[in-house]
Amino acid sequence: MSRSTMPGLGALSLIINDAYSALRRSRWIGVLLLWGGLECLAPHPADAAPEGTMTWGLHVTLASRWLDPAETEALITPFMVLYAIHDAVAKPMPAGPITPSLAESWSVSKDGLTYEFVLRKTARFHNGDPVTADDVKFSFDRYKGAAAKLLKDKVREVQIVDAGRVRFHLKEPWPDFMTFYGTSASGAAWIVPRKYIEKVGDDGFKKAPVGAGPYKVVSFTPGVELVMEAFDGYWRKTPNVKRLVFRSMPEEATRATALKKGEVDIVYLLSGPIAEDTRRTPNLKLVPSKPPGVFWLEFPDQWDPKSPWHDRRVRLAASLAIDREAVNQAETLGFSRPTGSIIPRIFEYALPFDPPPYDPKRARELLAEAGHPNGFDAGDFYPFPPYTSMGEALAGYLQAVGIRTRIQTMERATFLTAWREKKLKGLVVGITGAAGNAATRLEAYVTRGGIYSYGVIPEVEDLFQRQAREPDRARREALLHQIQKILHERVLHAPIYELAFLWGVGPRVEESGADLIRSHAYSAPYEDLRLKKP
Amino acid sequence: MTGSRAAGLTLAWRFAAFRSEGFPLLPTLILLTLALVAIFANAIAPYNPEVGVLGERFRPPAWQAGGSAEHVLGTDHLGRDVLSRLIFGARVSMVVGFTAVIVAGLLGTVLGILSGYLGGWVDQVIMRITDTWLALPALTFAIFLAAIVGPSEMNIVIILAAVYWTRYARVIRGEVLSLKERDFVRLAIVAGCAKRTIMRRHILPNVLNSAIVLATLMLGVVIVTEASLSFLGVGVPPPKPAWGLMLADGKKGLMAGYWWLTVLPGCCIVLMVLAANLLGDWLRVKLDPQLRQL
Amino acid sequence: MRRYILRRLGFALVSLFLLSVTIFFFVRVTGDPAVLLTEPGASQADLDAIRQQFGLDQPLWVQYGSFLAHLLRGDFGQSFYYRTDVLELYLSRLPASLLLAAVAMAFSLVIGLPTGIVAAVRVNGWWDSAGKIFALLGLSMPSFWVGLLMILFFSVYLGWLPSSGSGTPLHVLMPAFALGWYFAAAHMRLTRSSMLEVLGSEYVKLARLKGLPEALVIAKHAFKNALIPVLTLAGINLVLMVNVAVVVETVFAWPGVGRLLYEGIAFRDFPVVQATVLLGGVMIVTVNLVVDVLYAMIDPRIRYE
Repeated sequence: MSRSTMPGLGALSLIINDAYSALRRSRWIGVLLLWGGLECLAPHPADAAPEGTMTWGLHVTLASRWLDPAETEALITPFMVLYAIHDAVAKPMPAGPITPSLAESWSVSKDGLTYEFVLRKTARFHNGDPVTADDVKFSFDRYKGAAAKLLKDKVREVQIVDAGRVRFHLKEPWPDFMTFYGTSASGAAWIVPRKYIEKVGDDGFKKAPVGAGPYKVVSFTPGVELVMEAFDGYWRKTPNVKRLVFRSMPEEATRATALKKGEVDIVYLLSGPIAEDTRRTPNLKLVPSKPPGVFWLEFPDQWDPKSPWHDRRVRLAASLAIDREAVNQAETLGFSRPTGSIIPRIFEYALPFDPPPYDPKRARELLAEAGHPNGFDAGDFYPFPPYTSMGEALAGYLQAVGIRTRIQTMERATFLTAWREKKLKGLVVGITGAAGNAATRLEAYVTRGGIYSYGVIPEVEDLFQRQAREPDRARREALLHQIQKILHERVLHAPIYELAFLWGVGPRVEESGADLIRSHAYSAPYEDLRLKKP
Repeated sequence: MTGSRAAGLTLAWRFAAFRSEGFPLLPTLILLTLALVAIFANAIAPYNPEVGVLGERFRPPAWQAGGSAEHVLGTDHLGRDVLSRLIFGARVSMVVGFTAVIVAGLLGTVLGILSGYLGGWVDQVIMRITDTWLALPALTFAIFLAAIVGPSEMNIVIILAAVYWTRYARVIRGEVLSLKERDFVRLAIVAGCAKRTIMRRHILPNVLNSAIVLATLMLGVVIVTEASLSFLGVGVPPPKPAWGLMLADGKKGLMAGYWWLTVLPGCCIVLMVLAANLLGDWLRVKLDPQLRQL
Repeated sequence: MRRYILRRLGFALVSLFLLSVTIFFFVRVTGDPAVLLTEPGASQADLDAIRQQFGLDQPLWVQYGSFLAHLLRGDFGQSFYYRTDVLELYLSRLPASLLLAAVAMAFSLVIGLPTGIVAAVRVNGWWDSAGKIFALLGLSMPSFWVGLLMILFFSVYLGWLPSSGSGTPLHVLMPAFALGWYFAAAHMRLTRSSMLEVLGSEYVKLARLKGLPEALVIAKHAFKNALIPVLTLAGINLVLMVNVAVVVETVFAWPGVGRLLYEGIAFRDFPVVQATVLLGGVMIVTVNLVVDVLYAMIDPRIRYE
């Protein structure tokens, strides 16, 4: 699985794989990854002592729970902190989406039931303790965040073979095991020190966390500021920057001002005119990162045969009425990528489609063909909070071809609850940045069990059930592609664009870590960041 | 606490009223103009305030480089005409402001009279509720309500009224308490008038002054609160052109030099609130109510 | 007197109890915290797990019972968002809030007192109007706007002050001014009216009759006495400032309790909202109680109210 997402490197891995597996007991054959090992072979830049301070202005409120991997909810934000303080058995890295980290390699038994991880001997926690199999098992058992139930249902037992090796025994073959264990879909693979936690307790741990990551916590004020310092015992390399400071700055204009004044070096989430100003300012850089977030227009009424939205032509008209590039320019200065699919291009099993063209004339014709020559009243329009201005722009385009709506802004929690409870009618702007693959995305929005599905096409449901049982990767991909084709042909959604998450970067930063790891929204890996030499 | 403490103030107030200068002409004119603009918005506004052209966004006002006579006060982030939005915004802000103040005033005055005149358990219940209300800061309370009922112009009015009625209730109750001791009320009681009649005929007319002054002063508070709610994302929903919302929307353009998006609606708010306050201050002196803590 | 105090104390407790009930149920009507702690596409199982962890799957009255039981032991619970003790969180933010409020109050009085006095004695028509309008201007401008304009002017344009955050004495100036200005008009109005009251009183008339210069009469006799109600209001407003600073705190990234509360509402962090509102309520109710009792001691008529 990981092999296929890294074409070109796959062959190399096989060669090393063969040489390596000869050293191992013959029972352990199969995929073996050695990226961590390869990196060790690569020449290190001269290991200078870490220097300087890099400061972030964050759009989010720093939560204590992010210091503890066990609490990782189905949200990408905690990984902003996890990547600094902690380390995982395997995690997304510049080398690939599932890169061995605390484990130097792993292998899968032939029957697909057992995963064995070989831990890196050089890995240490901040307090000097080595990272052992015992810690891996402890961290897994203790984990209660996203997908915890799923993982614990599927994993029969975590077995400690010896201090450096740990085996996960599954109840049944589960091809997506590493997709959940080794990516940001869960935090189960992020390792915490058992001895330390048993000594200080869960609350004590959150107050003074000890991890195996490149940075140690110096001080933490919940919701305000997190200060970290380079950990010189980090296995991968000694970080370049001595101190990292995260500061919560909820107001966008405030963040941008702080950047302009040089009070911070990197700020997240800029948009519209503020992003434009940052781009115009000499010394400052506007940098897009590309999390797996896609905006689309959802037609919840399409399942009602009496609704105009039931007609494919009407949905297509709505899709053609939108000038995606203009919205992109206004909101994200053209850094987002207009798309014709609700699955992000970079997702495994994704089938990319070109964005529908902007063709208001054709849209009006389609509406006329569908029996609405003078347009129609489409009821409410729900922008995704807080992207209200983007929603307003979309509604404006619809209005221009005769699809009249009333914008309803809601508070985020209210909106999400109403959507899940299927109380939103009319038009809804959807977006999600949830980690996973095409199958996990599709499940939520177009299948019977999907929490946001207003209706289901039987054919899609059937295909989805089949792919879930399909062990063969190629055949599974074909099935998932077929689903995406159906969605596209029937215009189940009007996809808008893959969102670019804009950062402002100040003059002192040489390497900000933007997009080093594909589809990771924040700076990472922190040990690779660099400040300019004064 | 207000009424009783202020009871000895009458003389001072007379003194102030005597010395107060004439009628505040300018503030009244401003409010009148705004009211006219709000009423005739359809006729005056050059464009539809809710529809824009994305390609024409952030056009500066006509007198600045890049501006044109097409959009005299420029366009906003969605290419909508700022002048038209300001004109219609007067309507939204006035309707929201006045309705909220009136609804809160009616509710507060009625409950204040009941509480003050009837006393006993009615008084206890109403006063305990207002105490609880007061322990919950207005903005917090408004955010709460907004999260529960969701934003719409109507709901914003309800929220503002629900938040601010206690201010009337407390002041009016204080007034009623001192009115109760006055001879004409005592006389009415002795004459056997029904409680309802006394409250309507004798109490209500005498607290009206206070209610009116309070309403004028509250108008500003309400409009500023509405703007703050928009800033926090729970105010009048877009694309409605409320001034507070325009201000909150426009704040992003402030750094990029799009000053007209915030300065213009900001000035409108300031004008209106300032005018209302000046008028209120004058009325306060003129009508001689015993209001201190506002 | 003692009966009066006890009665007021009883009222205060009733208010706080009502407040606890109100806030507890209110916050639960606002929606489900689980959806905010996950990406929109998260699975049902993940959501259920979160609800269960917070005990939100239990009936409301059971939740309230356990909330009260913990509250009586001084335990406000664990924050959903932060996952730490709420009281600790609150106390860690309180000093910043108090500092902000204190400096804001200073600004507010510096503006409100002189303008109020001038308005009352009307030394000069022009100064009077200018002062009045300046004080009212603070009331007329939404504080987030004042804040942003100040950042733009003092931080970006002039470069004199840090734009946001906390830490040095310079950081507190802008947020405090933005907050204090809003309250200045209230202090001006009260200063003016209580000055007028005092100026009309017998002993000021007496002082005048004695032939003391007008300036001395105003400064020594009138002002000192007029100050009492103003300072009382200032005390009440100081507590209010702690609780209403949310907008200013957001603009200036000031780490106070206002933002804690606002974010608590936004994240549906029930324990944080409950604790912040209740503790804020305790502060407000206490200050009001103290003020009422003090006044009752000064003016015995009030007790029969």
